[in-house]
Amino acid sequence: MGRFWSILFLAVPVLGVGCFVCAAMSRSWPLYNHWFPRDISEHGHVIDDLFTFILLLTGLIFVATSLTLVYFLWKYDARQNAEPVKYTHGSHVLEVVWSILPAATLLFIAIYQMDAWAAAKMRRPMLPGPDGRLETEDDIARPPLAAVTGRQFEWRIAYAGADGVVGTRDDIFTVNDLHVPLGEEIVLEILSEDVLHSLFLPNVRLKQDLVPGMRQYVWFRPLETGTYDIVCAELCGWGHYKMKGRLTVLPRDQFDRWLAQKWAEQELSTYTAERGE
Amino acid sequence: MVGRPAEFGGEARGREARQRAVKGMTLIQTPGGPRSILVLALLALGAGCEADPARFRSNLMFARKQEETVGEKLSPRQLQDVADALAALFGTPDDPYVIPGGGLGLDALLDARRLKFAAGPVGRDQSAEAGGLYRQHCVHCHGVTGDGAGPTAAFLNPYPRDFRRGIFKFKSTPKGSRPTRQDLHRTLVEGIPGTAMPSFRLLPEGELEALIDYVIYLSMRGEVERALLEETADLDAEGGERLDTSPENLIEEKLASVVRRWQAADGQVTPVPPPPTLDPVAAAARGRELFFGSIANCVKCHGELQLGDGQVDDYDDWTKEFYDWAKAPDAAVRRAKVDELVALGGLSPRTIRPRNLRTGVYRGGRRPLDLYWRIHDGIDGTPMPGSLMKPEGAPLEAKGLTPEDIWSLVEYVRSLPYDALSRPHAPPAYGRDRM
Repeated sequence: MGRFWSILFLAVPVLGVGCFVCAAMSRSWPLYNHWFPRDISEHGHVIDDLFTFILLLTGLIFVATSLTLVYFLWKYDARQNAEPVKYTHGSHVLEVVWSILPAATLLFIAIYQMDAWAAAKMRRPMLPGPDGRLETEDDIARPPLAAVTGRQFEWRIAYAGADGVVGTRDDIFTVNDLHVPLGEEIVLEILSEDVLHSLFLPNVRLKQDLVPGMRQYVWFRPLETGTYDIVCAELCGWGHYKMKGRLTVLPRDQFDRWLAQKWAEQELSTYTAERGE
Repeated sequence: MVGRPAEFGGEARGREARQRAVKGMTLIQTPGGPRSILVLALLALGAGCEADPARFRSNLMFARKQEETVGEKLSPRQLQDVADALAALFGTPDDPYVIPGGGLGLDALLDARRLKFAAGPVGRDQSAEAGGLYRQHCVHCHGVTGDGAGPTAAFLNPYPRDFRRGIFKFKSTPKGSRPTRQDLHRTLVEGIPGTAMPSFRLLPEGELEALIDYVIYLSMRGEVERALLEETADLDAEGGERLDTSPENLIEEKLASVVRRWQAADGQVTPVPPPPTLDPVAAAARGRELFFGSIANCVKCHGELQLGDGQVDDYDDWTKEFYDWAKAPDAAVRRAKVDELVALGGLSPRTIRPRNLRTGVYRGGRRPLDLYWRIHDGIDGTPMPGSLMKPEGAPLEAKGLTPEDIWSLVEYVRSLPYDALSRPHAPPAYGRDRM
């Protein structure tokens, strides 16, 4: 085979980088639409930037190690080298360097991403408390617009209704169909009824595992109207693939009208043969 | 004991096909080198693709029941006659149709194009027409035959619906009637909360309509099969009597009576008068009285605390039909009977639980309209009875409920999930809530 294997191994970094380049130029064949889905959220770019940063960092290291590997394969091919193999006990300096460098890099990433993590998972949007001002001691957590419950294999959604509280008689129930008002901080209460699920809204860069028995809150601010996907990102059983929903972003007045219409449908209480349901 | 039908031969044929594929590989392997590895890998991928066409399963449980009833075994020829007649009337899972009978008016109920859209293997044909909706979305629970015994059925509670009796639980028509297309549509779109039936809201309207057609088709096929099995069991097979497979019998009698029941559904919808404008608290109080009263007597099954713990040892009609004759005082005998049922394609029997009214989960829908229908008409296939209604203009003391009474019950039922007893614990405050 000679140097065939080193050429084969060279194909790994070439194809690997090629795939990413093709995907990133997402308007072109053959990987059309394989880069990020459209980001319609306020904070999504933070996640994207982190992703790109880590991709570039790991990409560089991937290319460097792959090329080193190919170089060694090429140089020390058995047919080209008549000399006997030499053994070495290694180099302490090198060992220390390639242990400390990755450790330092990981530590850097851990610190660098902290703010993004806190914004997505800890700094829940607040409402001004009795003093009427934000960022004071008496701020209250913004109540959830709706509770989204994952179950095998659908998303059951309960809107807080007129009183703004989920779990009361004026809740409005839908399945797989989440509407949210445009430009507002949306807080969702998320729960699981049965097994692990993961609520994934790709277009607002939001993904959170649902754990049975655990009440969690997620938030985002959508900046564009339209219809987007809700998917389950945690293998939850044989029907995992069909656990799809639809996120619709509407201006506030249209959202209110939609909610009122859902409420009217839910309270429907007459049937006559002429009028139908 | 009825024999295993022919469709179980599929496994052996699949094995042969795999062996053929393996032989083919060893032939190509000889040249050696990396190229042959690639060829091998491609071959291995292709070898799994050979599959038998899907077949409808015979209703062996019902055949067995007929044997019990007449006290005689059905011969393989009798079963084959029924299978042939069904194939002539309904086609196969890959090529379904319903014979256009003289003036049955079937076209309004079942559209041939929509049936094809729902049937067959998943994928697109040469003209890029999509197909196989039923096998994509439904078959793993409801089964190719619509017997509610697909591969995943045994792991679900409640079991998936067996369409073959034409009985559907959640509908706008009274017990014993078929559901309307709109009822089936609603079940598909909303799903059935509290069960494994998910919502198919995101499917395009055309696909939903095709699936409704196919469910009705499977249901009709199952009903006709039952009628034919009953008829053939009554024949004197040893005396040479054969199933009457003339169009007069098959189409104008058996199929027509099934079709008529489906066609009648639209005219049988229970009208729902608008609710009286009552104080909700007073209405709920009146509903509570009726709940515990002797006419509605909801308490018997739903329990004093409405937890669905009243009568818990009953069965639904699909189970009862077979479990009744599988009952025996001796546990070992009973187990053997159940094993026999399971071997015939049934699922291990389970009791039916009356609904816990405090969870706020409504399988047939949460609209007041749905609850009115449930209470007024009962739930088909279950021990939940319809209401005894007072005839119009009857004296006050006459036995029965009025529409106002039903609305009071609806109000009471709707208030229960928000009762203090339903939520004994305040939800715990997590650290994250405060952040």
